[in-house]
Amino acid sequence: MILDWLLPVLLLSVLALALIGAIRRISLWRAGQPSPVDFFGGLKAMPRRYLVDLHHVVERDKYMSNTHVATAGGFVLSLVLIILVHLFGIESKWLAWPLLASSVLMFVGATFVYKRRKNPPSRLSKGPWMRLPKSLLVFSVTFFLVTLPAAGVLPQGFGGWVLALILAAGVVWGLGEMVFGMTWGGPMKHAFAGALHLAFHRRPERFGGGRSTGLKPVDLDAPVLGVQKPSDFKWNQLLGFDACVQCGKCEAMCPAFAAGQPLNPKKLIQDMVIGLAGGTDAKFAGSPYPGIELGNAKGGPDSTITEGLVNPDTLWSCTTCRACVEECPMMIEHVDAIVDMRRFLTLEKGNTPGKGAETLDNLIATDNPNGYEPGSRMNWAADQNLRVMSEVKEADVLFWVSDGAFDMRSQRILRSFVKLLKAANVDFAVLGDEERDSGDVARRLGDDATFQSLAKRNIAVMNKYRFKRIVTTDPHAFHVLKNEYKDFGGDYEVLHHTTFINELVKDGRIKLGGHKGGTVTYHDPCYLGRYNGEYDSPRELLSAMGIQLAEMERSGFRSRCCGGGGGAPITDIPGERRIADMRIEDARATGAELVAVGCQQCTAMLEGVVEPRPEIKDIAELAADALVEADDSQPARTRRDELAVEVA
Amino acid sequence: MANAEHLKIVALVSVGQHPKSGRARRAEQDARAVELGLNLCGEKVQVLHAGDVAEESLRSYAGMGLKQLRVLQQAAGADASVALGDYLSEHLPDIVLTGVRAESGESSGMTPYLLAEKLGWPLVTRIADIARIENGEAEILQALPRGQRRAIRVRLPFVASVDNAAAAPRQSAYGPGRRAELENLPWVETADEVRAAFEEAPARKRPKRLKMVKAKTAAERFKAATAKSQGGGGRVIKDQPPHEQAQAIFDLLLEEGVLR
Amino acid sequence: MSDIIRRDPRAEWIARNRLHPLHAEMAAPAAETRGPSGLIRKNPHAVGFIGPNGIKRIDRSGGSGAAVGIRRGARSAQQVELPLHTVENPDYYVVAVLDMVGGRLTSHDKDVLGQAHKLIRGGDGSGAVLAVVFGEHKEEAFDKAGVDRLLHLTGSEFDGYCPEQKVACLAEVEKQYQPRYWLFPDSINGGNELGCRLAARLGERPATQAWQVDRDTSVCRGGGGLSDITRDTPRLLLLAEECADPIDETRHQVLALELDRKPRIINRLQDCGQVAVDPNSVSLAEAEFILSAGNGIHDWDQFHQAAEALGATEGASRVAVDDGFMPRFRQVGATGTWVTARVYVAVGISGAVQHMQGIGQCDKVVAINTDAGCDMVKRADLSIIGDSQKVLAQLIELARDYREGGAENAA
Repeated sequence: MILDWLLPVLLLSVLALALIGAIRRISLWRAGQPSPVDFFGGLKAMPRRYLVDLHHVVERDKYMSNTHVATAGGFVLSLVLIILVHLFGIESKWLAWPLLASSVLMFVGATFVYKRRKNPPSRLSKGPWMRLPKSLLVFSVTFFLVTLPAAGVLPQGFGGWVLALILAAGVVWGLGEMVFGMTWGGPMKHAFAGALHLAFHRRPERFGGGRSTGLKPVDLDAPVLGVQKPSDFKWNQLLGFDACVQCGKCEAMCPAFAAGQPLNPKKLIQDMVIGLAGGTDAKFAGSPYPGIELGNAKGGPDSTITEGLVNPDTLWSCTTCRACVEECPMMIEHVDAIVDMRRFLTLEKGNTPGKGAETLDNLIATDNPNGYEPGSRMNWAADQNLRVMSEVKEADVLFWVSDGAFDMRSQRILRSFVKLLKAANVDFAVLGDEERDSGDVARRLGDDATFQSLAKRNIAVMNKYRFKRIVTTDPHAFHVLKNEYKDFGGDYEVLHHTTFINELVKDGRIKLGGHKGGTVTYHDPCYLGRYNGEYDSPRELLSAMGIQLAEMERSGFRSRCCGGGGGAPITDIPGERRIADMRIEDARATGAELVAVGCQQCTAMLEGVVEPRPEIKDIAELAADALVEADDSQPARTRRDELAVEVA
Repeated sequence: MANAEHLKIVALVSVGQHPKSGRARRAEQDARAVELGLNLCGEKVQVLHAGDVAEESLRSYAGMGLKQLRVLQQAAGADASVALGDYLSEHLPDIVLTGVRAESGESSGMTPYLLAEKLGWPLVTRIADIARIENGEAEILQALPRGQRRAIRVRLPFVASVDNAAAAPRQSAYGPGRRAELENLPWVETADEVRAAFEEAPARKRPKRLKMVKAKTAAERFKAATAKSQGGGGRVIKDQPPHEQAQAIFDLLLEEGVLR
Repeated sequence: MSDIIRRDPRAEWIARNRLHPLHAEMAAPAAETRGPSGLIRKNPHAVGFIGPNGIKRIDRSGGSGAAVGIRRGARSAQQVELPLHTVENPDYYVVAVLDMVGGRLTSHDKDVLGQAHKLIRGGDGSGAVLAVVFGEHKEEAFDKAGVDRLLHLTGSEFDGYCPEQKVACLAEVEKQYQPRYWLFPDSINGGNELGCRLAARLGERPATQAWQVDRDTSVCRGGGGLSDITRDTPRLLLLAEECADPIDETRHQVLALELDRKPRIINRLQDCGQVAVDPNSVSLAEAEFILSAGNGIHDWDQFHQAAEALGATEGASRVAVDDGFMPRFRQVGATGTWVTARVYVAVGISGAVQHMQGIGQCDKVVAINTDAGCDMVKRADLSIIGDSQKVLAQLIELARDYREGGAENAA
């Protein structure tokens, strides 16, 4: 019988070839920069990360999650059993029958994959990926049939040489796709690279329910700042790119892609794969970058990415909203990669597009992005009688005002928030003219030098004073202060104003009346929601005002960006639509008359949409409007207290 | 762009000052001079500063893609134009580019004039671009108010001051700025004695000139003081045929003399 | 017009009737006439008006009055002759080199002349202000601006851009007249350049952007406008605008002086004339005439045609840029470019706050809009309420007719 000797030989040679492929692939990753990982700990944690954390993400799509469990589970089990049964020739019904079962399981999964692939949505890649369900079916069917004799169901040699030949061909196809292809760049590469990617992920904090969203600092003394060539990425970033399954969930969520800007996160990751392995994008079988034809991108591990592989406009289209990262079942870090490449463009090339250069110059010269006089930062509060840290030195709460201080629209939000703070008798103070831009914009534009300079000076100022926590109305500053100042020695408890007001309401320190008006929907700011996981406080606060939210289809962790993050309004890459317009469309679909927001940037972007459109208001404004002023005795008493103190 | 790879071009730079924060930065016009130099002869352009090599803002000139920046070492009270003049008459470049006016110090804008006088070269003021350099003669576009341009021909060598109308300077990149070599050249210092007697203070707000009222009688003074201010809404033309409306606009344009 | 004084009964009647719609226009200050001897004479009969109760009333505040009938005739004679300021045999000169933009004194020139007199006033000896004017001019009021002596240098050598020639002449002035002070307007219209060139030639250290000058000390703007430098007043000054009040109470002699030796030099700078500049290549911040488009524009081809026909630089509101009809660098406003145009025509722009901030420095604003209540109309000096498409079509036609007519006239 041919198969008796052919099968082990085939198995052995394919496994050997796969091993060579694996070593080759690993060496491609090793071309990246060193990045310390917990090698054994990572490997040990890998199964759990795969079965729990990754499954959580995949499970958002029940169909695909079940399909994947059946197919992948069936395949892994089958492969182990195939090696035992057909390579080592262990003849045991205890092995053969489970093998039959697992191949049936895999077959079932594969039929669902097949069904999904019959009319695939545009986000899925075609090309070799269209072959995959057939390969899965062939593999499972072939090994089912091949194993039947071993299970004693069929006599040895059943079917003669014709069937044997057909089965041999099936074995070659199945093993070729599933094992050889796994390390030599077929669709199954995702299993091999994905498993290792989970083990050596650059942000292990993300597993087990944690969160890690702050950008990593640049070593400003490095010979090249940022990522110029694919080999300038950390090795585990390269590994991460290779783990992509081209499912296109990122593409479906990306606001820039939807707006027709030349960015497609899936294509970007595939371009990085081209970069690390060398070649062109002619064979890429998914949606291209809007407006850019396929087949012209070329790259290699040591050639500059932005010269031939990726158009800089692609990188500058990103709003850093993290929708792609949130959606990625492989937990790939798109935003990190994009900012790494932006760093090179800004810090080494001096090529920040649009108003980027001007904004950065202003940040350097005046500590605010619009070049206003640094000494006029407190002008908005001339009538507010705020306490300034340089005078009081100490307060319970440090109110981080942010650059909204210079913008007349944002000042309304600030005033509303101050009104609430005062109503609740919060002991708070501001930094006044000592405050600087948090550095968010500089960092997202790739200028980590300016970010670090701003961060260090802000931290030095804050370290002079004593306060328990920081509250800010700007989610960008919130994120940066909370997550990105740690690398420079600034570890603070930072709250977003919605969280803080919600706390005040819950503690009964302020009373909110009912909101009067029509339907309300809530827009989750990316830097509050996806970056910091705060989805509940704003909603609780709105319901405390008696508001029944009409949620948008894309809300919570799937909220669509307003288009204002990542310096996107500054770099201003043209598209077919504007992101803010799409977001207002989302809001209109709920029939809302008012969009509640928790971010001044979102307010500005959404209010920039041509009327008629729903009204835009920050939650602080809504709360201040709904504030029920305490009865007269309360403030009078405190005033008397103050008097007493002064006299004493 | 002019073909000038073979020419020796020197761009003089000073330490600028941000108009709002007063913080040191690369000066707008000097950066434009460097930009013009880079466009004319690429990295070969020699960028020269007279002052302190430790000045951080020089790095932002270097960040425009310069490998090297030469600094004539001068103390704060020295007259930089003397040092620059000596250096230039020693090295005799083909073109010297400067800004129109420095953003710090006296801001007199005399440096290009003094250098041209000392070198005996022609000076072209407020240039926007150098269109052509052929047979030792340059065709220069001079910036006039309101975006107008004048063409000027001049033989090399010459001094030119670069106006704000010239091409905006490229972005300064941090990395190359850090790595560029700042070559410190100790140089003879000439004390600026006139300047030593200056008293410098933060700028006072200049009072806006009021509409002068030369009133001879009490009644006239009273009238001037209580006169209703002019304005309060312009003319509104509504419900008239479009050609009359257009005519009204056209008349205004003619009256203002903006139709050429 | 005949000199015969005629009564205008209708005008008198209107002047008496305060309820008449033309009353305000007809009312004029009380009549004064200059008699044959040059003395001012009041005509008691022309003063006052008949009040409602038939009694003659005299209103000395000049708010209303009769004598309207002779108003027009009297106006020319009303110009008051200012006293003549004479300087015979001056001990020294203060030279003011004037810009003379368009052949006329600029307000900056007048300030400089005022400063010149301020330096002379109350000093020792008698000084005369010597104004130097290059090329042809159209100015008739040198006497009222404070010019005691005028050195008018004409000739083909002063045509076009010739700073070297002018400086050579000024150096000659220095030799011949040894002025005590040299004053220049510190302007981009040539004053700054000539002043600096002469300073370098004479080896003088000028005071630049000087805005408060007396014989001892000068206060100059330095440090890019951020600092004031107080210094001893040098011989050569470049004066900032509004450095001193212009002369307005005296007349001056305007005696012509001559230069004994007129130098003629070879210009190293060869003026090849002004270059035609496409209005759309002028940067928005510098443009003098902007046609700006907003959300209300539907026919963009027509808008571009209109800009071309009128020779205007194109601008746009944020919305028009966001919608992709105009490039980002055309955006006018606080978030785009702050413009300084003399005439700003806003077509279909309702006027967001940021936009209004950006056009704050514009002289004349014209709005074409369908909404009479929008902010742009409130700001505009001339507002057209109607369909922008039709108005622009008419404007294009008018501009083309004007161009063709102009061409015919020139031919």
